[in-house]
Amino acid sequence: MKRKNLLEIEKSVGIFLGATLLSMAFYHLGFTNANIIMVYILGVLLTSISTSRQIYSLISSIVSVVVFNFLFTSPRYSFTAYETGAPVTFLVMFLTAYITGSFALRYKEQAFSSAKSAFMAQVLFESGQLLSKAADREAIWHTGATQIRKLLARDIVIWPVEADALAPGRYEGKNVRSYDPDHAMKQALVCMQTGLSCADDAGPGALAYYPLRVQGRTYGVVGIDRNEPLEPEEQRMLLSLLGEFALALENEQNAREKETAAILAQSEQLRANLLRTISHDLRTPLTTISGNASNLIANADCFDRETKLALYTDIYDDAMWLKTIVENLLYATRIEEGHMSLKTSEELLSDIVDEAVAHVARRADEHQLDRLPEDTLMLVRVDPSLMVQVITNLLDNAVKYSPAGSRIVIALKACGDTAQVQISDNGPGIPDAEKSKIFDKFYRGGNRIADNRRSLGLGLYLCKAITEAHGGTITVADNTPTGAVFTVTLPKEEVLLNEVVSDPGR
Amino acid sequence: MKSFLILVVEDDAPVRTLITTTLKARDYRYITAGNGEAAVMQAASYAPDMILLDLGLPDLDGVEVIRRIRAWSNVPIIVISARSEDSDKIDALDEGADDYLVKPFSVDELLARLRVTQRRLALMQGQQSAVFENGDLKIDYAMRRAWLKEEELHLTPIEYKLLCVLAQNVGKVLTHKYITQHVWGSSWEHDTGSLRVYMATLRRKLDAGAGQSFIQTHIGVGYRMLRMDPEHSEP
Repeated sequence: MKRKNLLEIEKSVGIFLGATLLSMAFYHLGFTNANIIMVYILGVLLTSISTSRQIYSLISSIVSVVVFNFLFTSPRYSFTAYETGAPVTFLVMFLTAYITGSFALRYKEQAFSSAKSAFMAQVLFESGQLLSKAADREAIWHTGATQIRKLLARDIVIWPVEADALAPGRYEGKNVRSYDPDHAMKQALVCMQTGLSCADDAGPGALAYYPLRVQGRTYGVVGIDRNEPLEPEEQRMLLSLLGEFALALENEQNAREKETAAILAQSEQLRANLLRTISHDLRTPLTTISGNASNLIANADCFDRETKLALYTDIYDDAMWLKTIVENLLYATRIEEGHMSLKTSEELLSDIVDEAVAHVARRADEHQLDRLPEDTLMLVRVDPSLMVQVITNLLDNAVKYSPAGSRIVIALKACGDTAQVQISDNGPGIPDAEKSKIFDKFYRGGNRIADNRRSLGLGLYLCKAITEAHGGTITVADNTPTGAVFTVTLPKEEVLLNEVVSDPGR
Repeated sequence: MKSFLILVVEDDAPVRTLITTTLKARDYRYITAGNGEAAVMQAASYAPDMILLDLGLPDLDGVEVIRRIRAWSNVPIIVISARSEDSDKIDALDEGADDYLVKPFSVDELLARLRVTQRRLALMQGQQSAVFENGDLKIDYAMRRAWLKEEELHLTPIEYKLLCVLAQNVGKVLTHKYITQHVWGSSWEHDTGSLRVYMATLRRKLDAGAGQSFIQTHIGVGYRMLRMDPEHSEP
């Protein structure tokens, strides 16, 4: 404040001295007093334009008249004037100087004020645009803070409301003035709870607190440095901006709630579908099992040995099929509920394949299973039972979807830093149109399965989900001349051999 | 050896009936218990030759039953687990169980496991010689050499150690932890990878001459050396 005053005093004095010098020059050049009066009036005008308070032009006017009298009216260098009407001249000179000065000052203030209004209106307008375009919650906070700072050119703090509580203050300006965060937080809390604005008493770090409130809900509290009071127009603009800010937050909140509801509805739908499919597909084998068993109980003596054996076998087959389905279902529900926690360990890929082949061997007696020799031992970090399930499912599919007598080839390859298992069959293969769909949940292809059993459509879905959870990929391609090739690719582990034996003695 | 006494510990009645029916059909003798406390008492009173223990008992944890019985007896214990996770089987094996079955198991599997354990018992009863023989495999512990079908096996120190650990527990499922601790004396994280690789190389050397595989992999759990019965080639 004081610096500003000093500067303006210097300016006034400077201008006055300039005017005086010029007048002296005019005098020596023989110009009339009228010219000199004009010069001083000009001086006062310049003073009011370059200073911010009327007092400068007032003093300037008075001093101009006095000095004019002293220096330029005869007798020179005295305060008396011989000329008739000199007092009137002095008065008119003073009034002219002062009034033009005042008008100049007022004009300047007006121009400044209009420019500021226009600027604030512009900021408000562009805030509306920016806030509606903000990508997410963070962007809204950030934009709002920037715009408020831009509007008012002073430091602010924002306390966002998260989960119905006030989060610590952020988005402060770069030149953060000293304010006490704890005290400010308490005040902000009061503001949030009452929904009304309040203010600290004036002093260092004093803030005014405004709630961001729409439809009775508070989204945050804005604290603005209050040591320089806001002008009425600034206050109005600020409230408009805060209103837009709050509205943007509300819109974002609504959009998010809508999305959550939609996701919930969708997962409920999936769950309903799953239950429907399960009950349908489990009932079939259960019907045949209970039916055959009750037949055997009731009519044990009527059936001949061959018939009975056939019924027993059907019961056994159905039970085994149920077992596979239930296992797959359990895995699928684990994935859906997000309980895909992998318990990984380093395993040899060939061990995994061995186990899968053992599981399938019984079902594959009509097929030719060829295991190609592997070139090197490959270690992978996997959850062993899950990965065995993947290979088992692939082998099961190869058996199911190719006719009796078909050849199924299992190959293990090392490919850079990945390990690959390739399972190929020479059955009818998979048409290109279906290749992308086969990994979908519950997708059952058009091909008829050898033993006429409908599958649940989960096998490949699980293979993909499990493989990808391990950071791997699974792909399908055509085999030549016919058939399909499924390739599972997994990251390979470094083999770090511990070559030190514990006690060589034993 | 078939008039064996087997203690069947299973709380689910139908499953218990299934097991006892199977045993009866093969002329095994059996006694039953429906919970952990009864199991321990039965084991103490009747000294069965083998125990089939379900892990999902209502009163005691299966592992606790094993711990109690192991306090005085080395009777072979085969645990039956209904859970797909491996941790309960591993805990049971580490506590002293010999083998495990997973529900639903087939009757064939059950009988096969019983036979394996029977053979192991038979072997244990003429033990502590310096020479181990199992089918075509022969190990001389004193000389630290091994032969397959009269041809000497060239094994690295670690492969030899592995072979011995398995041989000394022939017929029993050994957990990865057990094996790594006995071979390397500690459980360094990458030992699992080492174990896999050494086991694979050992296997290749063993299976080179033989028709059957000596070492059985129990994925996620451990390994077992199979007792090569001269009459049957596979348990």
